[in-house]
Amino acid sequence: MRPFLYSRAMTLEQAMSEAAQSHAAIMAGGTTLVDLMRGDLAGAEHVIDIGHLPGLAKVELDGPVLRFGALARMADVAELPFLKQNYPALVESLQLAASQQIRNAATLGGNLLQRTRCVYFRDGVSDCNKRVPGSGCAALDGEDREMALFGTSDRCVATYPGDWGTALAAFDTSVEISSASGTKTVKFADFHVAYGDDPARESILQPGEIVTAILVQATPAGRHSTYVKVRDRQSYAYAVTSAAVALELDGDRVTAARVSVGGVASKPWRAPAAEAALVGKVLNEAVALDAGKAAFADARPLRHNGFKIDLGARTVARAAMVAKGKH
Amino acid sequence: MDINMGNGGIGEPVVRRDAMAKALGLAQYAADFPHENTAYAALTLSKVARGRISRLDTAAAEAVAGVRLVLTHRSLNESLGDETFVMKGGHMQSSFLPLSSDEIHYAGQIVSLTIADTQEAAEEAARLVAIDYTTEPASASIDDAGLTEEPADSGIDVGDAEAAFAAAEVKVDATYLTPAQHHNPIELYAAAAAWRDGKLLINLPSQWVMGTRAGLAKVFGIPVEDVQVESPYVGGAFGAKASILPHVVLVAMAARRLGRPVKLVVPREAGFTVGSFRPAARSRVRLAATREGKLTAVMHDEVGQSAVIDHVAFPGMEATSKMYASPNIRMRSATVATDVNTPGFMRAPAEAPSFFGFESAMDELAVSLGIDPVELRIMNEPARDPVSGLPWSSRSLVECYRRGAALFGWSARNAKPGSMVAADGTLIGYGCATATYPSAMAPSSARVRLAADGSCVVYCAAHDVGTGAYTVLGQVAADVLGVPDELVTVEMGHSRHPSGPVSGGSITTGSAGSAVHMAARAVRERLFATVAGGQDRTKMTLADRHVVLPDGSRRAISDIIGGLPGGVIEEQADWKPTDMDDKTMRQGLAGGMAFAGPVGETHVSFSFGAQFAEVRIDPLLRTIRVARMVGVFACGRIINPRTARSNLMGGMIWGASSALLEQSQVDRARGRFANTDLASYHFAANADIGEVVVEMLDEHDSVVNAIGAKAVGEVGIVGVPAAIANAVYHATGVRVRKTPILMEDLL
Ligand SMILES: Cc1cc2nc3c(=O)[nH]c(=O)nc-3n(C[C@H](O)[C@H](O)[C@H](O)COP(=O)(O)OP(=O)(O)OC[C@H]3O[C@@H](n4cnc5c(N)ncnc54)[C@H](O)[C@@H]3O)c2cc1C
Ligand code: SF4
Repeated sequence: MRPFLYSRAMTLEQAMSEAAQSHAAIMAGGTTLVDLMRGDLAGAEHVIDIGHLPGLAKVELDGPVLRFGALARMADVAELPFLKQNYPALVESLQLAASQQIRNAATLGGNLLQRTRCVYFRDGVSDCNKRVPGSGCAALDGEDREMALFGTSDRCVATYPGDWGTALAAFDTSVEISSASGTKTVKFADFHVAYGDDPARESILQPGEIVTAILVQATPAGRHSTYVKVRDRQSYAYAVTSAAVALELDGDRVTAARVSVGGVASKPWRAPAAEAALVGKVLNEAVALDAGKAAFADARPLRHNGFKIDLGARTVARAAMVAKGKH
Repeated sequence: MDINMGNGGIGEPVVRRDAMAKALGLAQYAADFPHENTAYAALTLSKVARGRISRLDTAAAEAVAGVRLVLTHRSLNESLGDETFVMKGGHMQSSFLPLSSDEIHYAGQIVSLTIADTQEAAEEAARLVAIDYTTEPASASIDDAGLTEEPADSGIDVGDAEAAFAAAEVKVDATYLTPAQHHNPIELYAAAAAWRDGKLLINLPSQWVMGTRAGLAKVFGIPVEDVQVESPYVGGAFGAKASILPHVVLVAMAARRLGRPVKLVVPREAGFTVGSFRPAARSRVRLAATREGKLTAVMHDEVGQSAVIDHVAFPGMEATSKMYASPNIRMRSATVATDVNTPGFMRAPAEAPSFFGFESAMDELAVSLGIDPVELRIMNEPARDPVSGLPWSSRSLVECYRRGAALFGWSARNAKPGSMVAADGTLIGYGCATATYPSAMAPSSARVRLAADGSCVVYCAAHDVGTGAYTVLGQVAADVLGVPDELVTVEMGHSRHPSGPVSGGSITTGSAGSAVHMAARAVRERLFATVAGGQDRTKMTLADRHVVLPDGSRRAISDIIGGLPGGVIEEQADWKPTDMDDKTMRQGLAGGMAFAGPVGETHVSFSFGAQFAEVRIDPLLRTIRVARMVGVFACGRIINPRTARSNLMGGMIWGASSALLEQSQVDRARGRFANTDLASYHFAANADIGEVVVEMLDEHDSVVNAIGAKAVGEVGIVGVPAAIANAVYHATGVRVRKTPILMEDLL
């Protein structure tokens, strides 16, 4: 293992200034970072532990905004009664992720920045533009069942694996980022970046910037929301496909809809075409499946992941029907 | 049979002797043993699958503070004894030893071992070993173009199966695929070696301490007595920890060079290529029957993945040819050599892959005939082994099916595919399949010591790989000597003990158990002889720590033994299967591979089981869940129903995992295994397994061995993948002829 320096930040300011140095890495729960370091994938020479900084773990309703402190633990947030009742999609995306032990340690902020599960990225050996820019992409002629349909490039076809991020994409979400130069808020849709020429870059976060909160605009659609995760194993596995759907309903008629899909894209992926296919319709299974198909109309399949177009459409359909049934 | 039913004796569900030690974390596994002044090792693995090392630069690695040795093909530069591959009579997992040359035969081959004062420094140095390769194209899949099939043996022929098949009224001809799989025991491969005065002590998780000892003695050119192998606990093995893996030799080598103990724990991803694996296989099954359902031809053509560096084959035909009565049988097996680490034994190595195809084909035949699949099997039950014509030592498969069908509620099955649907639309499928496993035996020694206080110690160099052998072997002794279970201690997993067999092929209970039985009886004989005083010894019994004499009087064991010099009675026995000659027995006891059975001179001995599965399939998303399984088994005498049940249940769970999840994905472009970690190599989680019901029939087999125990360890996995595939067909009408069965197969 590469030698590294570990320091525990005493204040946010200290963390921000230390994190601005090269080869520095923020550690929150450490469930992703330590894994990456063990595989020599993080390039971290200085680990700055912010896990214990005070004040960053709160979840509160701040006027029309749900504010999730970046250090709130997945397990704790998944148990909040207010959230369970009003935003089941968010709670389910947390409950269906990882394992209880990992959720006990993992934070909401760190969750957004987890890295792809592409086996070629993880193996530390194969050609991978994400790990070694310019080296190539082994997935292009290798195992690609797990790979993405959206937001890919000829340099990288890996998926963003997170469930929480996918669910957030179905809401009006933004990310609060703090650095020595102040605090800013960016739209969640702009926080992660689809792959272009440089798939090593996955978010807009710059050295020295720390995610301090995730902000979700309160919405009545939260009550009629759900997160459906389809996976090979019934627990403790990443999504093959997933979908979050949030609805506003007038009787059985959809008046507003938000749809996002997971396991199929390079970043948390909103599906506006599916939303359009739902709005104004009396929601039934056929309408739901049409919306699912709309979500995948622009999908770009590889050799072995084409089934995700069909499965993904069905996943959206199931989520829409479950969301409708929630109250 | 003269086995008493005693306190904690044979047939009782005694709780595992090692349970508390394991639960409390007190059990010491190989990597837990402290050797003073240990140096730590780390591996560097080949990035390419085939070629040569063209440049090797270890300067940066050697410069890491605390690094003591960088072992590469250049610095090893020493030929190591002439020990051979396990399939050629030796003990090595492969005939190729990494670092013996600059050649690369498979991806993930060990290309250096770095040793340092700390684990961190060793790992850092391993990362800095700089290697360039010249590469050649490689194949890690049997489906790659340009590979040829080589016949693996002469096959089995009874009658004229081709002709019978051609003439048949109803037939099935289908091909089934099973993938490569890796054992992934939770306890990683490890080795800790220490040399003292030219003698080697090695701690490693082992299923074969005697074989490892014999092999390492040969590798290092030292007398067998100068090697000790210690492996008291094994955290899962499944066949992976029997033969000597290459890192073991390298670690011992490094320890000798440094004059200092060296320890290596092989990381999970490295285990995929440092150890062995279950090779991919393809089964073509042809079955023919009369309209009434009588089989007229059974044909099975198997193709298995082998390695360029070693020829290995695990055909299942010895078992599949014996399943059903058919006048015409034709079995063939072939292999395809690929650029991989040598495949090896993995739980039911021959049976698990071959039965997926064979028992799926039986289901397809049942569908074609319109006959219930349970009834089809019962109709074709053979009275004798259809190949050798010999009688079975015992075979209760029909009883297993009848009991299993009742337990499962098979009669509620509507045979029409897709006809059983739950209220919420979930598709329900019922499937069944046969399981079998040969009951082979190996010679074993054991020593039993009885002390005046009634305490009893059993010594045997067998192994408890998590299966319950500590408990079961103690029960055999307790039973013969009439001592309560709490007073029994069992010492195993060390080569200083009397020789025990390899823990492979489901032989431990039958073989080591027979040796313990023999040694315990010898102790009892001495006890009786001591008190005999003219009374008839054959009329004496043992109960409650007393000898009961023919006249009804009782003598306390404590008095009898207390009066003896040394205060103990201790006897060692060397047991061998009836059909085995003395020479083979001696080879076996010296750490060689010496098996007898399952086909003996007078009988054929297999364990059998009938397995049932219910799957539930989401009608939209097509996810498959195993709601419940039932397995009814006939394995002869069950020494301990608790541990036997747990074994069989574990096998069934693995079978479900194999049916729906497990596969080592092959990156064919680069000739390597792709999913080499537990995040992407999926096996069942608790949530994947519903109810599992296991029953063992009360079967009496007076032929198989001294204690009447047949194979338990592996039979549980064998039929489940086919039972699940058959249930998937029943639920959906879709026949999937490969494992794992994934949701996309049903879209
Ligand atoms: C075995 C396993 C299974 C998993 N399964 C799932 C799953 O099914 N679904 C799923 O969604 N996730 C899954 N995960 C991922 C898990 O949810 C993440 O590892 C976790 O949420 C990361 O949070 P953390 O606090 O531990 O992050 P850390 O490991 O501490 O950090 C992760 C990354 O984010 C950066 N970082 C952390 N906090 C901040 C911050 N406030 N500001 C800026 N940068 C920051 C770190 O530098 C690092 O690069 C799994 C993880 C494991 C290990
Ligand atoms: S898909 Fe992306 S992460 Fe995977 S190998 Fe290609 S570049 Fe690397």
